[in-house]
Amino acid sequence: MADKIKGKGVISGIAVGNILLAGQNLDSFLVNYKPGKVDAEKKKAADALVKVAEALQVSIKKFNEQGLKEQAGILEAHRMMVEDPAMSGAIDEQIDVSKSAPKAVLDAYEVQAQVFEAMEDEYFRGRAVDMRDVGKRIAKYLLGIKEPEIAGKVIVAGREIEPSVIAGLPTDKIAGVILGAGSTTAHAVIIAKTRAIPTVVGVGDGIDQMADGDPAILDGDAGEILIRPTDKERKAYDEKIKKQEELKAYYATLKTLPAKTKDGKEVILAANIGSPADVDAANGFGAHGVGLFRSEFVFMGKSDVPKEEDQFKEYKAAVEKCNGNLCVIRTMDIGGDKPLPYIQVDKEENPFLGYRAIRISLQRKDLFMPQLKAILRAGKYGKAAIMFPMVINVKEFLDAKQFVEDAKMELAHEGKEFAQDVQVGIMVETPAAAVMAPQLAKYVDFFSIGTNDLVQYTLAVDRGNAQISYLYNHFNPAVLRLIKRTIESANKEGKWAGMCGEMASDPNAAILLMAMGIKELSMSAPSIPRVKERIRNFTFTRAQEILKEVMDMEDGDKIKEYLANLKA
Amino acid sequence: MATAEAKATIENKTGIHARPASLFVQTASKFKSKVKIAAKGKEVDAKSILMIMSMGLVKGTDVVLKADGDDAEEAVATLKKLIDDKFGEE
Repeated sequence: MADKIKGKGVISGIAVGNILLAGQNLDSFLVNYKPGKVDAEKKKAADALVKVAEALQVSIKKFNEQGLKEQAGILEAHRMMVEDPAMSGAIDEQIDVSKSAPKAVLDAYEVQAQVFEAMEDEYFRGRAVDMRDVGKRIAKYLLGIKEPEIAGKVIVAGREIEPSVIAGLPTDKIAGVILGAGSTTAHAVIIAKTRAIPTVVGVGDGIDQMADGDPAILDGDAGEILIRPTDKERKAYDEKIKKQEELKAYYATLKTLPAKTKDGKEVILAANIGSPADVDAANGFGAHGVGLFRSEFVFMGKSDVPKEEDQFKEYKAAVEKCNGNLCVIRTMDIGGDKPLPYIQVDKEENPFLGYRAIRISLQRKDLFMPQLKAILRAGKYGKAAIMFPMVINVKEFLDAKQFVEDAKMELAHEGKEFAQDVQVGIMVETPAAAVMAPQLAKYVDFFSIGTNDLVQYTLAVDRGNAQISYLYNHFNPAVLRLIKRTIESANKEGKWAGMCGEMASDPNAAILLMAMGIKELSMSAPSIPRVKERIRNFTFTRAQEILKEVMDMEDGDKIKEYLANLKA
Repeated sequence: MATAEAKATIENKTGIHARPASLFVQTASKFKSKVKIAAKGKEVDAKSILMIMSMGLVKGTDVVLKADGDDAEEAVATLKKLIDDKFGEE
């Protein structure tokens, strides 16, 4: 019998591969380590620092050559931490105490990590993870633990998966992800989602039952992991895997087909992306362009305001990959929950109702202008659109629009090429914007409804709060009315409305939204085939009947149930 | 052996965050002299990014730069200029 471990499946699908432990526990290695004389240990530690710095330099070069600047940047910071002159002294002092080089290295970086953890500034606190990561890397070198060789597909497992681990792995080798922690917003999970890698979180101590190289089966639907499955157990999964392959093959046949109802009404299915590389994956699922490019990655992990030229390269890459389809780029949507060194946000009681997104952009010309100019220039290489987040009134939009005009003037003065006809629209994610949609529609080129925030703000429900998460429902009639109002307002002014929140990936919602008059649904790319299948099975006439029924209903849970049991 | 010392005040908006810190360390490392930076009753190696970052030098902090070695004068003057020029920031 295999060991069966239960967790919470967050990304569906079945993965077969060998376990690769990230965030490895070094305790047993440390116990078995035989230290030499104190001087010899000091010499070993000093040599290890040099060797690890060299190895990092090789990886940095490799990542830079592949254009993976983000990952190169993380490792560059790690290299500076390895070569820091303060650390060699601190390690020597620790060797005098513990007599063991690897233990001393871990302790020295731990001390440093705790200094950073105690700091007030959130950005510095976050660096503690990197310190521990670096300490571990050097200790592993001293203990002779090789970075695991990756042969075939792996299932990456860890209590927490460290940034450098993800940065260092070839993504096509990752079959599945297992996290001990319960977080669905962890870095690893977000990456897994855009690439449809089956993932289970919240297994807790279950991680201890796995060893490196263990064969395993991960079931992202059931939230189960089988470690060292017997042949019999493996066979039992063969059927499921076969079904999954068949479904995949079926979805692949949908790739080139339009998202059209039986009576010929079509909607655009686009992808939500976080970086230009995601467009390739999205095209594989048959996405028609990008409905939401979260530009945050351009801003995160930087110590300084990102330059126009650097942003331009990223946006241009994404626009070009869209092959003539629209690429909607959302301007910076960052606030006090993810502070950056170059954005000063005072401590806020509630960062989600605070100084963030467009509210920052409108006050920080030095941040906003380079981004707008970069998008306008990228528009020359295909079709780009600018989208402002968190707008609550007409004035904000008009002010932001004025910045776009100023950006064009500046570009013209500088003699740089840019697209004149870039569409400018807003995310409708505050109840205020939805209520004011008839007025806003006069000025914008488009609306994109961000349901994640719209639902939270309208219902006053934090969906991360398990005690009240049953109240979070995008089919709540109040939410549906705001959505309908937004779409109808756009259509009345001859503009278009789309959706880029999670609701857009719900096949049960697609028919309803089409009947309301939505023109585009943007979602994480792996959801596209499911939504398309549903649309192709219904007629628009039937969709309109369904909408009428639903708008007469008063209970969000009943609406959800009704839509889930619909027959074409 | 020469020694040199100078006072300066951190004026750039974000204080000594990652980028200014690495710039500062790279500059300090160009000199042969031992270079230290003192503030808030602590004194650390100006060639160590970890030590400098962990001091939490925000805007408005007064610091003292100290160097000891052949190029001490030049080291202190160069680093003082870097701080006075706000590390090329706002």
